[in-house]
Amino acid sequence: MPNLPPKKEIFLTGLWKDNPVLRQILGICSTLAVTNLMVNTLVMDLGLIFTVCMSSLTVSLLRKVTPLRIRMMVQTLIIASYVIIVDILIKAYLPDISEALGPYVALIITNCIIMGRCEAFARHNPPGASFIDGLGMSLGYSLVLIAIAFIREPLGFGTLLGFRVMPQGFVHWTVMIMAPGAFFTLGIMVWILKYFRPQTGEEKG
Amino acid sequence: MTKRVLSVVYMFWITLFFASLVSAVKLMNDKRIERNQTIKLQSIILRVLQIPTPEQMPEQALSRLFADRVKEIDVQGKTLYVGYEEDGRTIRGYALPVGGPGFWGPIQGMVGIAPDAAKVLGIAFIKHSETPGLGGRITESWFTDQFEDLPLFPIEGERNIFYLKPEGTSRAANELDAITGATNTSSAVETFMNRELDHFLKDLWGQIGETT
Amino acid sequence: MDAINPLTLFFAAIFTNNILLTNFLGLCPFLSMSGQKKSAFGMGAAVVFVMASTTALNNLVHFKVLVPLGLEHFRYIVFIVVIAAFVQMVEMTVERFFPALYFSLGIFLPLITVNCAIFGASLFMVIREYDFVQSLAYGAGSGIGWMLAIVAISAIREKLQKTAKLPRGLEGPAITLIITGLLALAFLAFSGMIRVQ
Repeated sequence: MPNLPPKKEIFLTGLWKDNPVLRQILGICSTLAVTNLMVNTLVMDLGLIFTVCMSSLTVSLLRKVTPLRIRMMVQTLIIASYVIIVDILIKAYLPDISEALGPYVALIITNCIIMGRCEAFARHNPPGASFIDGLGMSLGYSLVLIAIAFIREPLGFGTLLGFRVMPQGFVHWTVMIMAPGAFFTLGIMVWILKYFRPQTGEEKG
Repeated sequence: MTKRVLSVVYMFWITLFFASLVSAVKLMNDKRIERNQTIKLQSIILRVLQIPTPEQMPEQALSRLFADRVKEIDVQGKTLYVGYEEDGRTIRGYALPVGGPGFWGPIQGMVGIAPDAAKVLGIAFIKHSETPGLGGRITESWFTDQFEDLPLFPIEGERNIFYLKPEGTSRAANELDAITGATNTSSAVETFMNRELDHFLKDLWGQIGETT
Repeated sequence: MDAINPLTLFFAAIFTNNILLTNFLGLCPFLSMSGQKKSAFGMGAAVVFVMASTTALNNLVHFKVLVPLGLEHFRYIVFIVVIAAFVQMVEMTVERFFPALYFSLGIFLPLITVNCAIFGASLFMVIREYDFVQSLAYGAGSGIGWMLAIVAISAIREKLQKTAKLPRGLEGPAITLIITGLLALAFLAFSGMIRVQ
């Protein structure tokens, strides 16, 4: 069994060095839609973190008994089950937000990141490390979404988490509420990051 | 050969396990989800009837207020809600559930009607699938507040009860602002609300006196 | 209650509520590929077929089977299974009867299974309570809309790479996202065009 890097390093790798969205541009599809409101983004992030961590953990626990040929189906089943659970919980405890999130919670299932982590890491590593890996990756992903929402909500609605943050006379940038705003924001963020960290990756901080 | 069988068996058990897990979570939360829907409906009915509800009212209190002040009646197969004043006898108004196709999916709402059916008390939307930020703005207060005090009269000929006009162009009392950039949603809302209100005035209103 | 005309839905799904440009679905596979116009077309055609068929199929499965049995909460799993099975069947059929097509499309078919847009179309269909014909129209329209967007983005990207030197950091995903944003902005112009009545 190859030597595992210490847990802290696994966590930090997911968070920044190999941040799924920024480095690998994985899985932004579904979640960009909810980033026009910070509160929706936060709830979505919690759902994602729960799903990724639990899925990685479960896949790792089952790694020695799952037949190789059906592992993709099993992974999909596991991920889908956790997503359904998250969906039910949000519908029960946060009904208004559930309506606002619409089908996007379910779309976590097709999110390339989760399947990617299960295939690349959780399948080969012990539960503890897999859980931490999932945590790091999902947190890294969540931070990017929060950063995008941090730009979209104030510029588009003038608020952050419902509190007014822009001065009274501010004319809302309606484009930020809609799809193009999200694309531009993420595109520019990726651009800035790639500018400062060329592909041969050294990380900052 | 055995490998195949093992895979199928494994798949079967693991599917069973997770299906049970999901079902368990669902069963544990079903009641709560249903309660959320009931509370939402009740608070919307209270809102369109203009029965004041304090901010952050606890669910129990809301349900009690609803039970005290609102009665559900059936008129020609349609469920209506009658709101009473605090004395429990004077009618405050009627809440009419309305619905129709929006641009993207069905829209459900509620209209509060004055006790003499001469004007609208207020409207609110319960459910819709319109584009957030565009058609979805029908739920915003600037849009719904416009309907307060809208005069009601049955439609004769081509005259609608109300029209949704591009923002800034409304002149008559029954011309309200549509949502800029959401022409389709605005049209759809105008169509089904006019139809439902007309139906209420022509067919249901006459029958209500007998049921309350 | 009058239903939305399927033909209106079809055109609306292509232009005014494009599943990629408005609902953000289906970008993943595209951002990672270098994206040539030809492969974009191929993938697009496959997606149209799969999306139309699975959205309609899932409509039947959901409303005629799951709901009457009280099992709607399993719909996510069922939809994915239906999509995966369908793609598998298509793959086998194409491999057997159209081997030439299989060679050019081959890699894309399995990728389609995890395409968020296909799953997403079925999800929207449930939320909006479409009937069978509407589902077919919506699925087909969304597929064509997706293909249109993908082909446009890859064409623009190809042209850009030939004629301009991109500033540092923009190559790859960043410029693709910005192009997509501009295209989404352009498609917003369609939003007043299609009337419900």
